This record gives sequence, structure tokens and C-alpha cells, in this order.
Amino acid sequence: MKRLLSAVLIAALAVLPGPGSTADKIKVVATIPDLADMARHIGGELLDVSSIATGVEDIHAVPMKPSFATMLNKADVLLLLGLEAEHAFLPALLEAARNPRILRDAPGYIDCSVYVTVLEVPTRIDRALGDQHPMGNPHYNVSPEGGKAAARAIADGLGRLYPEHQAVFQRNLEAYLTELDAAAAKWEKEAAPLHGQKLVSYHPDLVYFAEAFGMVPFGTIEIRAGIDPTPSHIAELEESMRKNNVKIVVRELQYPAGLAESVAQTAGAKLVELPVMSGGLPETKDYISFLDYNLRTMLKAVKGS
Amino acid sequence: MERVCRKRPFVAALLVAAMAVEPVISRGQTSQPDQLRQELEGMKEQLRRVEEQMKKQEAIIQKQQAIIDKLAAGKPAAAAPAAAAPPPTPTAEADSERIKREVTEQIMRRIQPSLTAANKTFPSQFNPALGLIIDTVGSYSANHGGNFELRAAELGLSASVDPFARGYAIITGSNQGGFDVEEAAIVTTSLPYNLGLKGGRFFADFGRLSKFHDHDLPFVNRPHVLDEYVDGESQSDGVEGSWLLPISQQYVTLTAGAYNKIGADNERVNNTVPRDFSKFTYLGRVFSFLPITEANSLDLGLSGGFTPVVQEDDRARRTLGGIDLTYRYTPLSQASYRGLVWGTEALVNSEDRPIGGFPANPSPTTPLVIEHKNAVGLYSYLEARLTRRYYPGFLFEWVQDINPGVGETLAYSPYLTVWASEFQRLRLQYTRLEAPGDHDNQFFLQWTVILGSHVHSFKDR
Repeated sequence: MKRLLSAVLIAALAVLPGPGSTADKIKVVATIPDLADMARHIGGELLDVSSIATGVEDIHAVPMKPSFATMLNKADVLLLLGLEAEHAFLPALLEAARNPRILRDAPGYIDCSVYVTVLEVPTRIDRALGDQHPMGNPHYNVSPEGGKAAARAIADGLGRLYPEHQAVFQRNLEAYLTELDAAAAKWEKEAAPLHGQKLVSYHPDLVYFAEAFGMVPFGTIEIRAGIDPTPSHIAELEESMRKNNVKIVVRELQYPAGLAESVAQTAGAKLVELPVMSGGLPETKDYISFLDYNLRTMLKAVKGS
Repeated sequence: MERVCRKRPFVAALLVAAMAVEPVISRGQTSQPDQLRQELEGMKEQLRRVEEQMKKQEAIIQKQQAIIDKLAAGKPAAAAPAAAAPPPTPTAEADSERIKREVTEQIMRRIQPSLTAANKTFPSQFNPALGLIIDTVGSYSANHGGNFELRAAELGLSASVDPFARGYAIITGSNQGGFDVEEAAIVTTSLPYNLGLKGGRFFADFGRLSKFHDHDLPFVNRPHVLDEYVDGESQSDGVEGSWLLPISQQYVTLTAGAYNKIGADNERVNNTVPRDFSKFTYLGRVFSFLPITEANSLDLGLSGGFTPVVQEDDRARRTLGGIDLTYRYTPLSQASYRGLVWGTEALVNSEDRPIGGFPANPSPTTPLVIEHKNAVGLYSYLEARLTRRYYPGFLFEWVQDINPGVGETLAYSPYLTVWASEFQRLRLQYTRLEAPGDHDNQFFLQWTVILGSHVHSFKDR
């Protein structure tokens, strides 16, 4: 029995991280790559950052892999979009991870939505209205303002947890915001052709994008958020799009292609395919290039329509 | 400088007016504390922006003042760099403070009614989350006829107990009569060393589908091998500890538990009488997750249950072992509408049983002939996710009866699950049953809905 115990202990020690590795850094797990990218800018070498989603997933349907629980078990800090965006996988993973440092309301649980001016907060909570987010639309990461708010929440949260590095976090935040502000000023000018353009998306993923660039969300292919369409809904949507001169249909890359193509074709609109997180495409390797890609793709479609 | 000071109240008034028309407070008009916190944080952010804007305005005004002063002195005008701007005077700081105070007061006036409303409803925030699941099945059997069955109306409650534990209860009513506390358990949330502890009545960590409630199963009925060997769900009164191994490369959990018995329908053990240690049931389980690629993975579990002396039979020990294997293909970018699951469990039940089973009306004069039997059984199913709505699947079952001298059961069940939404599901299933003395064709239509709170549980993945 003693031999067996010794063997188990030796095996456990062999797989534990040794000195001088990333073990000395603050371990940060973000739910999406956008937040991970911001954290890398803000924390620099102080942080060891990883992301649960890779960027191609539907944030409401990220597979609940036990390996994520292992990742969370070691985390000092968790960064999440919040507004219940991660409802389908994060609460269960947190329970499985057994890490009190990052449980909800623990200091390591950083909800990046705290500074966001939230859109589409429901005035009535009812499942007849779809798979609602009671605190409002959580897809704020697709707009520069949402990104800035999240970056500020990350820097403030890290500063509260590690006051000895607060000055570094704030300095890096200011540098990152300067970069993001410069890009946002450029995007604002370039986005002029989008003003007033109506768009239909598969899911209400682009409400903040539309607000940032003056577009008008007209409807969704889903009947309600999270509810797959019926033929009658699609027929009504197409008819309504024709009557109201809606020229843009967005398929977020995590939704099926066929139906969005068919809606665009029938309604005489242009199909635009967009990722909803950085990392969704090779051209969107970081957060700023992701926002840039989405705007450029939309501009190309509007100018060509 | 006096001209500059006269302009400041005007700038401040403009900023306050701009704040007043911003749709900060009224959005949603909800009294939820989280919402209010969100709004407050939004306001803080807006206040910060106003301050930034003020500083910019002041810098511009100071630059302009410098130019005017130089022109007035007859010197060539040159724009002063921002860094060289003179420090704010006490008057400027007082103005800035006054504006901040005014903006804050205005914001507080606007959110006060919502705060008051939130405070009034605050006690209800401690109520547990409530959810109700209704599971109904219409069935037709060629041998036994048809039936409509309210299989369960299952009320679920859950909430945090304190910073160290959470609690939940599942109370079920069915057409089999009355209400039953299916689960009521306390689960620790912050034990050190990756430990977890659970106590009360809960589904013991044996195998995979034994821990699923009936309505959560991927098909209509619980596989025969689980029904017969585990006696339904792995419901147990007892205590269970588990440990997540502290290694980052691999997810491995070890579980150990002690219970009065395992099995919701297990009538071989009385759940209400005291017993000595030899008559409890003990469990051990090891589980691991093996990621093959980003999209392909394997879950592997080994479970063992041991009862040294089966209480009511009072004659022999019982062991139950199982292996569960689940392969998943889930393409990351299409996870909500494409995928494949192959799930298999094989069990071995080992105990002394009377030949032909226990008689319904035992005779005191005729002794039972007891024989030891190792019975083996399994189920295996394959389910595809073709769209967000349609999940077809096929279930195969093979089970040896746990009683000596009784044959084996085979069953084949193609099925189709249709999800109207995440909260409503229809399922159609045909089962060809070949059991000892009962060869049957069975048809099922299951309709399940979820009302209120729902959770995506880790064990039901």
C-alpha cells in the first residue's frame, strides 16, 4: 500500500509545474478571445492568459468540455462577457472547477460588462419572447465602445486584485485605449456609407455594431433570440425586407449558411458573413483587427449592393 | 482670465444638459439590483467621460487665452503646447468640483425611485430559483395496449446556502401517486484541495445515465440494464466526496460514497431503518475526459458499488461494476446544429439470488434455492444532431436477468427528437422488445417542457 501511495505521489509531482515556468504569472482565463486579447495588452508579461472559446463558436453554445474545468481550476482571474452571455456553459464549468477564487462575486470573477451601456434590456421577462437575456443584449464586444468598456473593467478588476501592479495595468490600459480610439476615429469616418442602412442578422448579435456605425437592425432570421425560424416567419421576413428596402443580411459564422443565403437571395439583399469574436477568421487574430474586418466587410457589401 | 471664467458656467450647463438627454437611467425600468449596479457603473463611466471632456475644454480655453494675451501684448502668437499649459487655478478646480456635484446630484435624483423600488422587493431576492418540468408520454404496446402517462411534474429549487455551500431539491409528482422528494442535497462550493462533498438524497455518481432524470435521457425510457441492475436512477441517501486531481494536463475525478442503498426503485433494502456498517452500500468511481481533437473527445468512467450484506436478503454481498464510454463529435463552429454522440455503458451485477427470482407470494414451507449469478448487460446508442431541431438516434440493449434461470432481454429503439426550442421537446420512439416471455412492439410519443429557471448541468452533458 505504501508503495502504491508513493507511486501516486511521485506521478502527481511529476506533472506539477516546476519553478520558473508560467506558474509565477497571474493565471487569467477569459471566456472569449476578445477579452483574452485585451488582458494580454493590459497585463503584458504579468499575465498568463488563455481563452475558453477559440472565436469560431456560438457564445451561447460553447461545448462544456471537462478540460475547461481543469483550466478554470488553476485560474486566479476569470474574465467574462457577463449579461448571462455564457449561461450555457460557464456556471456548470465553475461548479466543476472547484476554484473559490473565481466563483461569482469572488474578487477573481471579473464581469467585463459593468461599464457597458446595455442595449435591449427587456421590459418584460417571458419565454414567449424567446431565450431572453434579462439584463440586456450581451453582444457588446462587436462595437468599439463595448470593447473600451470591457478593457476598462479588466484593468480596474486586475488593479483591485493586484494593487501592486495597478499602475502598470492603468498605463497599459491608456496605451491600449489610445490605439483603440485612433482606430475608432478612423472607423467612424469610414462608416459614413453605413448610416441608415437596415440589416437583418441571424441572431441579435449585431445590435451594438449597428449602433456604433449608424445602421438600423431590422429583424432576425430567428423568430426570437434562440428560437429557430418557421417557414411562415421566413416568408414574412422576406416580404417585409422587400417592402422596407433592406439590403443587408448578416450570417454570423456560427449559424447555418443555407437559410441566410436563401433569405438574402429571395429578398434581393446582399449576404454578409461576419465573425462575432476575434479568432473567428484568420484575418481577425486580435480584437482590433476583428472590429476592422467586420466594418470593412460590411462597407464592401453596402457599397456593392 | 475673467473672460474664460465667464464661459465656464455656459460649458458646464451644456455638459449637464447633454447628460440629461442621455438615455442612461430609464432603459429597462427594472428594479433588479444587478441592473441597477449596471446602470450605476454606466453612469460612473459617463461621469468620467464628462470629466475628460471638461479637461479638454479647459485646455482649449487656456490655449485660446494664452493666444489672446500674447496678441494683446503685441507679441507674435504661438500656440502653447498642452504640456506647457498653466496648472488649474483654485477657481477652476472649484468649478470642476461644482459641476461634478451637480451631475452626481442629478443622476441620484433620477435613479432614486428605482433604488427605492429595489429595496422594497429585496427580501424576495433570497428566494431559490424555481423551475418546473412537465414530462408526459403517450404509449402503445401491441401486447399491453395504450396509455397516457404524466410521467413527472418535477419542481426544482436551488440556491446558495452561504459562501460555503449550495442546496437544491427536486420534488416530483407523477400518476404513480403522490409526491416524492427525488433529490434534496447540500453541496459544498469552497472546500480546499479540489475537494467536494455532497450530502442528503441525490443521484449517486454511478455510471453516466443513472444520474440523469427520466426527462433528461436522450431517449424515452431508461435502458433495461440500468432499470434492472441499478434499479432506476441512482437515487441514494448518504454522503459522497469527490476530488478533482490537481493536474492541469488531464481532467480526472475520483469519487467515494456511502449510502443506505443505491437505486430509486431498489426495494431489496429498507431505506428507513438503522443498520450496521456492513449493510451500507459503498461506491467508488474514477472519471476522465480525453480530448482527441478540438471537435472529438471521449469520456471514460469506471464505477463500482459494493454492499457487504444485502439487508433484506440478509444473506450475501452484492457488487455492481460498470464502465461508461461516451464519444462526442462537436464541430466548434457548428456546435448548436451539428454533432454526434455515441454512448455505451456495460454493467456487471454479482450476487446471490433465488433461481427464477423472489416469488411474489413466498411460502414459509418451501425454501428458496439460492444461486450466485454474475449477470452482464449493456446499452449503446448513437445520436446525430442534424439541425438545431432534429436529433435522430438508435438505441440497442442487451441484458441478462439478474436472477438465475431467467433469460436475457434484447431491445432495438430508433427514435427522433424534435426541439421546438430549448424549453420544449417532442420525441417519437419505436421499440422492438424481445424479453423472456414478452416479445412486443412498442410506440412512444414524449412531450417535455421546462418552465421557469433551468440550468445546464455538468453531469447531464
